[in-house]
Amino acid sequence: MSWETVIGLETHVQLSTKTKLFSRASTAFGESPNTNVNLIDCGLPGVLPSVNKEAFYKAIRFGMAVDAQINQTSIFDRKNYFYPDLPKGYQITQMDLPIVLGGSIEIAIDNSIKTINITRAHLEEDAGKSIHDQFDGYSAIDLNRAGTPLLEIVSEPEISNAKEAVAYMKAMHQLVTYLDVSDGNMAQGSLRCDANVSIRKKGDSELGTRTEIKNINSFKFIEKAINYEIKRQIKILENGKKVVQETRLYDSVKDETRPMRSKEFANDYRYFPEPDLLPVVISNQEMQDIKDNFPELPKDKEARYEKDFKLSSYDSKILASSKSMADFFEDAAKKTKNFSLLSNWMIGEISAFLNKEAIEINESQLIPSNIAMLINRIDDQTISGKIGKSIFEEMCSTGDSPDQIIESQGLRQLSDDGEIEKLIDAVIEDHSKQVAAYLDGKEKLFGFFVGQVMKLTEGKANPETVNKILKEKLKK
Amino acid sequence: MSIQFKSIVELRAMLDKKSISTPELTQESLRLAKKYKELNCFVSMNEEMGPKKASAIELDKKTTSLISGVPLAQKDLFCTEGLRTTCSSKILENFIPPYTATAVKKLEDAGSITIGKTNMDEFAMGSSNETSYFGNVHNPWKKGYVPGGSSGGSAAAVAAGIVPAATGTDTGGSIRQPAAHCGITGLKPTYGRISRWGMIAFASSLDQAGPLARTAEDCAILLNEMAGHDLKDTTSLDFTVPDYLEDLDKPINQLKIGIIKEFNLNELDSEVQSRFQDSKDLYEKLGAEFVEVSLPNISASVPTYYSIAPAECSSNLSRFDGVRFGHRADNTEDLNDLYIKSRSEGFGDEVKRRILIGTYALSAGYYDAYYKKAQQVRRLIKNDFDNVFETVDLLMTPTSPNTAFAFGTKGTQNPVELYLEDLFTISSNLAGLPAISIPHGQINSLPVGLQLIGNFLREDKLLNAAHVFQENSDFHLAQPTMEDFL
Amino acid sequence: MDQETVRTICYLARLEIDQNKSQKIQKDLEIIIELIGSLQSIDTTNVEPLFSPLEMTALKHEDVEKSDNKKEKFLENAAASNEDYFLVPRVVE
Repeated sequence: MSWETVIGLETHVQLSTKTKLFSRASTAFGESPNTNVNLIDCGLPGVLPSVNKEAFYKAIRFGMAVDAQINQTSIFDRKNYFYPDLPKGYQITQMDLPIVLGGSIEIAIDNSIKTINITRAHLEEDAGKSIHDQFDGYSAIDLNRAGTPLLEIVSEPEISNAKEAVAYMKAMHQLVTYLDVSDGNMAQGSLRCDANVSIRKKGDSELGTRTEIKNINSFKFIEKAINYEIKRQIKILENGKKVVQETRLYDSVKDETRPMRSKEFANDYRYFPEPDLLPVVISNQEMQDIKDNFPELPKDKEARYEKDFKLSSYDSKILASSKSMADFFEDAAKKTKNFSLLSNWMIGEISAFLNKEAIEINESQLIPSNIAMLINRIDDQTISGKIGKSIFEEMCSTGDSPDQIIESQGLRQLSDDGEIEKLIDAVIEDHSKQVAAYLDGKEKLFGFFVGQVMKLTEGKANPETVNKILKEKLKK
Repeated sequence: MSIQFKSIVELRAMLDKKSISTPELTQESLRLAKKYKELNCFVSMNEEMGPKKASAIELDKKTTSLISGVPLAQKDLFCTEGLRTTCSSKILENFIPPYTATAVKKLEDAGSITIGKTNMDEFAMGSSNETSYFGNVHNPWKKGYVPGGSSGGSAAAVAAGIVPAATGTDTGGSIRQPAAHCGITGLKPTYGRISRWGMIAFASSLDQAGPLARTAEDCAILLNEMAGHDLKDTTSLDFTVPDYLEDLDKPINQLKIGIIKEFNLNELDSEVQSRFQDSKDLYEKLGAEFVEVSLPNISASVPTYYSIAPAECSSNLSRFDGVRFGHRADNTEDLNDLYIKSRSEGFGDEVKRRILIGTYALSAGYYDAYYKKAQQVRRLIKNDFDNVFETVDLLMTPTSPNTAFAFGTKGTQNPVELYLEDLFTISSNLAGLPAISIPHGQINSLPVGLQLIGNFLREDKLLNAAHVFQENSDFHLAQPTMEDFL
Repeated sequence: MDQETVRTICYLARLEIDQNKSQKIQKDLEIIIELIGSLQSIDTTNVEPLFSPLEMTALKHEDVEKSDNKKEKFLENAAASNEDYFLVPRVVE
């Protein structure tokens, strides 16, 4: 019996506004608990929501980027349920009239492109955080996140396996970061998703019973959680049993999904229009302004890199693939002439380092001006490429600038002919045997002499100068 | 020199003539409140900050507003920073707000002194003040009788002459009906005219703050200070506020007043009818013209209201969960137990009833039949008003079909019996229109109220008509003896 | 409105009714539901619901921080809290 998986994703994107959706408290991450909380976020009696225009502009920018229909009139609804990190006892969201309707996004699987349609994307407020494992007997509530604007993007059930789900999330990540709609920081929960997974017999027309895996916040976990859930459901079906429709949680430690206790009771959210908010309308002028200030997307960037920086289309593509890499590259490119060397370093050493550390470039110690400086020092032969690599490692750990490192460790390249000649004379004297052998025609010994000179200079001698002078000395 | 039963205008004159100082006036008002504590119209007194503010105002010659130095009472659902705010509910028994409601702040910024927070129906749910966790408020005109509700404490405090005026809120008649039962003047402005920021919500799309005072002129003075747009309330109206004192004395000989056919006034208590007839005659004598108008859907007001208001309240009161503020039950097993016990211990029966009704009206399968249906009928009712206001300036009705009743004699068996008392007041909340209640006589020494309903933002016309009426009558000057409360 | 419905609504609203009152409250609810049920007789085909008496639109504010955080006061008002958090009985997800 062969089975078919159907997956739909609900992606929660935290919009990168300075303040919250319905209050003017900061949305900064990592502040001390309950400080980015004002009267509204605390859900005190008598408070009322007011509207942050930037959240709407960002949501609309996303809608435009996926060719969706934009509803310029937003009506909000209350979703009623009790949970300690939901201060008002209801979440303000959009039920009947989402700000973004339809649209689609392309995902890359292997070498082919697949289009996934988007059902809708609506604005809503995020909840606070409940910490269940820090105080025994208690759950602790931090409302810093409460009220942060979220764009919930609902995909059509057109994703057919975990790989595609990951590709979809990567495409989402690239898009929202490029649009400057979100910082896309998954570790901080700026981008997370719920996966609706169901299994059906190949060829069946209607969908099987689905389960919803809540709050997955890394590409790795998306793949693992979905694959686990697929296996679990197929096993159930093959034993002739039925899948229960439920909300499940992915446990990354045990690498398994399990039913969510707190969601056991079937809820009735009693949606109704939020009477504290009049409809929010985005004018045609505002729509035009959003269009006029639309950010550059990856494809445009690639083209520009090939043209302005004379980079290969392959390099351009890699550099443009990540907003943070591209931004970093462009900042650095302002401070150096040698774009191709910079690009090689970005794609080579720097990417390798970031992959090893599994971090984004903006999370690392590296800053564009320092990388540009490093490129320039190699370019003007102050240091060799080889020394450059060791300086780079130093930069990664300390964050010091290349010049600081060069000075403090005296790594400046030795290019003075006179000095190098003295060293070479010494080497020749100390190794008369090898010299004789060389002169007898054992030419590959040349490398040995170069090695000796480098040894004496701890690799700082300019290789070209060394070669030049050696050749002369070893004539006749 | 006694300040009891004095209006704002009169107190203002005393202050200007220096026949009393602001601190003396505040102390006197606080003294009267203590003297008549049996009325039970106050939940908390502002004995700390009130007098402090009074001394500051005395020195501050800059504040020249008409209410500078005037003592006021605030309904206990307006949040007041540092001063306990309970909504007359056990669930907020110890709640000290960290901020002040816009309406109160504007009054205080204009120099008035808050002397205390007034008793009310719990969360403003009731029309007799009998649902308060802090006990019944007596009607100053007759001990053991209700002052009306939900702003019953405010109405009683003004009627007893403790303060010249007080704030109230009106969701279905909660300013006008107690004003009527206590023989004072109460104005419910257009929805959105006064900011709701800091006003603890009952039904968001119906709630509106307003003044209760001895005269229409005093109401105008207070509205001048309270009205205006507030960025913190997206439902507050962004229209310039006129000077409501300007046209108070305008002759009303051009005034066209509508009598609502569907209210079948001839079925009312004969005494209520004759008071109504007398007032009609007076207005005609003053040059006003009366026409009968029809609002075909207005009889549906009560059922419409009792589906919308509970629905909104069921959601608005979800934040009272014992987590961040308010009563939390002891020794609870788990989170749900905490929610259920805290809320069940904290809320009274009427509040529970309305939360349950609202929860039901919004729950899956009933939303369309109850909540949505009611909002559709609501539009029909508003359309009815829009139509009649093309031909008339104001509508006139009794404020309430009856005078104040004795404690525990209404709605105890059947809550709907009490709901029907709101028949005349509810429709203007559904349509968001301004309305005022003024005293126009008594029945068995209990006051009777006359209601005028105006078109959208036409508080000026209401106040003009009410003021001219009071210039030509003395019902508003009547004073209860208060001897049973000493 | 049967007992079961009342129980469900009570749970959704996180309320419980003492036994001695449950009969009365259930009866009250029935009466009120009957009252609002009377609206069914009114024809509202093609009538748009009027969710707010103001048929206007909301003003939007700029994305500029304006904090009135009062962490201590907020936590003070809570029945159970420590220097940083509101506390509730342990929740098992």
